[in-house]
Amino acid sequence: MTNIAGRVREAFRGDQRVDPDALIARLDAVRRFLTAVDGLLPDAELVPAHTLVERAGTRLALSRDHTVVALAGATGSGKSSLFNALAQLELSPVGVRRPTTGVTHACVWGPLEGANRLLDWTGVLPRHRFVRESALDGDDETALHGLILLDLPDFDSVQRSHRLEVDRLLGLVDQVVWVVDPQKYADRVIHDSYLREFHRHRDVTVVVLNQADRLSPTELPRVLDDLRRLLDSDGLTGVPLLATTAIDPAGMVGLRAALERTVAERQAALRRLAGDVDSVVAGLDELVGSARPAGGPDDTAVGALNRALAGTAGVPAVTEAVEKAYRHRAGAATGWPLVRGWRRLRPDPLRRLHLPGPSGDKADPAESLVAATSVPDPTAAQRSALGLAIRAVADRAAADLPAAWPAAVTSAARSRLGDLPDALDQTIAGTDLGLGRRPLWWRIVGGVQWLVTLAAVVGLGWLVLGYALRALGLPALDNPMVGQVPLPTLLLLGGLLAGLLVAALTRPVVRWAARRARSRAEQRLTAQVARVGEEYVLAPVRIVLASYAQARDALRDAARR
Amino acid sequence: MTTHGDSATRSGAPAVAARTGPPDAAEEPPATTGDDSLPGALSGLRAAIGATRYPLALPSAASARHTASALTDQLDDYLLPRLARLDAPLLVVVGGSTGAGKSTLVNSLVKARVSAAGVLRPTTRSPVLVCNPADASWFRQGDLLPGLTRTTEPSDDPRSLHLVTAPALPPGLAFLDAPDIDSVVDANRALASQLLAAADLWLFVTTAARYADAVPWELLRSARARGAVIAMVLDRVPAEASDEIAAHLAEMLAAQDLGRAPLFVLPETWVDGQGLLPEGVTAALSDWFARLAADADARAAVVRQTLDGALAALHPAVEELADAADEQVTAADGLDERVRAAYRGAERTVEQGLQDGRLLRGEVLARWQEFVGTGEFFRTLEARIGRLRDRVVAAVTGRPAPAAELRNAIESQLITLLRGVASEAAESAYTGWKAHPAGADLLEPGLAYPSDDLPERAERMVRDWQRAVLELVRVEGGDKRFVARTAAYAVNATGLAVMIAVFASTAFIPTGLELATGAGTTVAAQAVLQAIFGDQAVRTLAAKARVDLVARVRTLLDAEADRFLARTTEARPAEAAGDALRRAAGRVELARHRSGLATGDGLPVGDEEGSR
Repeated sequence: MTNIAGRVREAFRGDQRVDPDALIARLDAVRRFLTAVDGLLPDAELVPAHTLVERAGTRLALSRDHTVVALAGATGSGKSSLFNALAQLELSPVGVRRPTTGVTHACVWGPLEGANRLLDWTGVLPRHRFVRESALDGDDETALHGLILLDLPDFDSVQRSHRLEVDRLLGLVDQVVWVVDPQKYADRVIHDSYLREFHRHRDVTVVVLNQADRLSPTELPRVLDDLRRLLDSDGLTGVPLLATTAIDPAGMVGLRAALERTVAERQAALRRLAGDVDSVVAGLDELVGSARPAGGPDDTAVGALNRALAGTAGVPAVTEAVEKAYRHRAGAATGWPLVRGWRRLRPDPLRRLHLPGPSGDKADPAESLVAATSVPDPTAAQRSALGLAIRAVADRAAADLPAAWPAAVTSAARSRLGDLPDALDQTIAGTDLGLGRRPLWWRIVGGVQWLVTLAAVVGLGWLVLGYALRALGLPALDNPMVGQVPLPTLLLLGGLLAGLLVAALTRPVVRWAARRARSRAEQRLTAQVARVGEEYVLAPVRIVLASYAQARDALRDAARR
Repeated sequence: MTTHGDSATRSGAPAVAARTGPPDAAEEPPATTGDDSLPGALSGLRAAIGATRYPLALPSAASARHTASALTDQLDDYLLPRLARLDAPLLVVVGGSTGAGKSTLVNSLVKARVSAAGVLRPTTRSPVLVCNPADASWFRQGDLLPGLTRTTEPSDDPRSLHLVTAPALPPGLAFLDAPDIDSVVDANRALASQLLAAADLWLFVTTAARYADAVPWELLRSARARGAVIAMVLDRVPAEASDEIAAHLAEMLAAQDLGRAPLFVLPETWVDGQGLLPEGVTAALSDWFARLAADADARAAVVRQTLDGALAALHPAVEELADAADEQVTAADGLDERVRAAYRGAERTVEQGLQDGRLLRGEVLARWQEFVGTGEFFRTLEARIGRLRDRVVAAVTGRPAPAAELRNAIESQLITLLRGVASEAAESAYTGWKAHPAGADLLEPGLAYPSDDLPERAERMVRDWQRAVLELVRVEGGDKRFVARTAAYAVNATGLAVMIAVFASTAFIPTGLELATGAGTTVAAQAVLQAIFGDQAVRTLAAKARVDLVARVRTLLDAEADRFLARTTEARPAEAAGDALRRAAGRVELARHRSGLATGDGLPVGDEEGSR
């Protein structure tokens, strides 16, 4: 029952015409697929698709008014006899020695000129091309006008070169007529190596049981039934199966009619290519699968990546240095002026890392041009963490992709690993750590410090002056009194005390501000490092994911009949 | 000549056949003198072949497995039973392509419809053996082709052998109609090769349409390599083309070094009502077989030639097996080496990470500074107060005390490093295997990643190591003076400091970079340590602790590598399998030369002319 249903369906499908524009669109989709996956998937699996695109382009550019039909079969099945019987001329040598035909012969119905380029492409030598000019025969050959019939060599004899020639030509022709005979119709090589491979080309496949005259009328239907059973198991359900006899013109009627129909439809080339697209798409299916492309690397993995990048870039060391530098510089600006000079003896922590020093401190210009910082090299553990993070990003991004893709995603994620240390270093060097500007309050506090110190100095000078005058016996200065205390004393002690007090009061503020500066620098550095991660790790991954999406869409378009 | 009592003692087991050698020799001195060791050598060879496996998916493995099973079959089906009974009837196996007319030919030769012929291909699926009723008992008892069940009814089961007796067939001769060698039915091909390997004489049937097919010629070439005696039948030849085709086929046979095989040409004709070929067509062939049946010496010569050829062919075939077995071992070694190289690299990375003290930088350093900078160090040295304070701090701030953080930092850095190197090593071993055909076959996706419990095992390993370091300090402190000097310090904190020292440089000379990044505190810590322990003691402690850590890391990584190595170990054949095969084949070769089988002259040639 299913068999009959299948045949009915096949019969309907056989009537379906292939729209050339739709076919070209499908071929274009295959081409887009190849562009999208170029360099990402192993080339060996793409060979059939490349071959198809190239062959189809050439075939469609050549004459579409001609139909190339090949007679293929085992040695001794009578291909050449059939060929000659169809052409009604002795064109291809027929003989008893096996294998007989070693080269491909071609016969063209109609003028040779139009068919020559097509025959050049198939590689049939000019001396093996013949013309069946209908003018000689009257009207009975016009129905075959546009037919190019090829007589292929065998594919099962001891001559291996014959098989190579057959394999080459079977990829190029529009329709294949498989010739079998009562002795060889169940041979393994015919079914396993050839007929089974053509199950997607049922539209352009005809099987003939030649030498039917060697079977008695009762045996013929049994053999045909057996052959039909074998064809069904090859996946060639519903292909035309005809019995032919080359020695009797009446035995050729069925085949002739089938060929006339093929030539009249002018569809064989398109159907063949459509079948090729089908089998190529089926072969590529597992490369793409049905998985929806993921949106991109997920946030957890990216977070881990950024942390690992920050560790590798030495962000903790730099932020630590920022905090210390802030304290150092704030101390220099707001400390007690009398001990401020001591700080000069200690180096600025940021400058030890070759990061920008205090704003006013334009050291020698040569140094500022050197971009490389002296941020400590990453440790082995940090490197490991980075490697793990990159791999995790790639794994998570490729989790839903078919087997061929994760390798491409991983190698994309690592593609710029070599540039990463330098890029990170540049980024750290180029990030504004927020220490360039001296805050206003430093100046105010600094001014206050200078003011109170000045007061203390004035008070001291005044006292010294008064002491000196007294020592010299000169009239004593009349010190203005503030309450019970003389003004100079008040100035001196008050100035000193105020200076110490301001310094003491500023210290916690500086510490707090330093911590803020640290976290600000950390934020900026982390953001910058994340940008590097995006550019050097995530962007290549996204490109591969986009290619996957493109390839998937293209293949879906190509599969649409 | 056929003694049933004798054969009843034989169970068909090779070892038993070997022991029954001498009685045969006593009965028939010229044929089997010095032969007593040949069945023994063959049994040894069979055991060696059976013991060798080819589990790795190398290009040579599939053909080696195939050859091994073919050789085993041939030894069981033919060589051992035939050697035990050189006088048994001559078995002619009729083989060839589907549709060549093998069954029709057999029917015509025995003048009875014993095997079904027809137009549907393939016709014969289960072999049919035809013999004279007098010989039937030998074939029925099943020494020859022991794997096939004897039946008396025609069947389609390829594992059965249909036995038919035909009085028209002279005694001493039996025909076996084999299935085809080239049809879509795969079972037929396997069975046909097995049957042809058991033939004393091949009657190879081809046709005018088929004689240049590639498949039969492959089989003929293998038959020639095996030294089998072959006779060719060219069937279904159109009368007008008879001379041309026969000449061409003779040419092809000569080119393949098979020119000595007699060639019989049968024309394409219609069968009679019984499905037999007309008598005149098969007369030449029937005559040839009749003469062979009548001449016991000629038959014995055919048997000896085929037997000797088959024995001689064993040596190169076994050599091929031995090479394949060696290749398996080499490939397994190569795969192991790829894995070991990957994990050696991982170990080196860890060692380097420990060597140059870089692990100390970063987080560890920060914690250490915190630890020292807050005066925590000196306070934790007095264990009790320190512990109390730790608890208070932890309770108030909710954060672990600095000392605990320091230890965690070392732990997490080490574990990250181990995870990283294990991941890299697994990936590189995976890639290495993937590039190798046998390796790719053994892989499963999980192997590209370190094992799931690696982090836990690494943590446990680091904790064990920390405990061992503390233990080490305690043991080193066994020295009394030493104890006195360390008495003031808690063993706990000392152990921690030793761990730091392990990560710092070996010679305690800080590098310029370490100074620049503020590692001066490390130097200070070392100074403290040295004051406590003395310079040399600290060095010794640090070195011991590091050696211990490296050893533990190695154990951990070895366990990772074992996930790969276990697979090759499982698949690896015995080292000496190749040599065992070669030795066994050598013994067979020696026994063959001593047996003097190869003295016979072979087929009665010269019938070729008559056959035309």
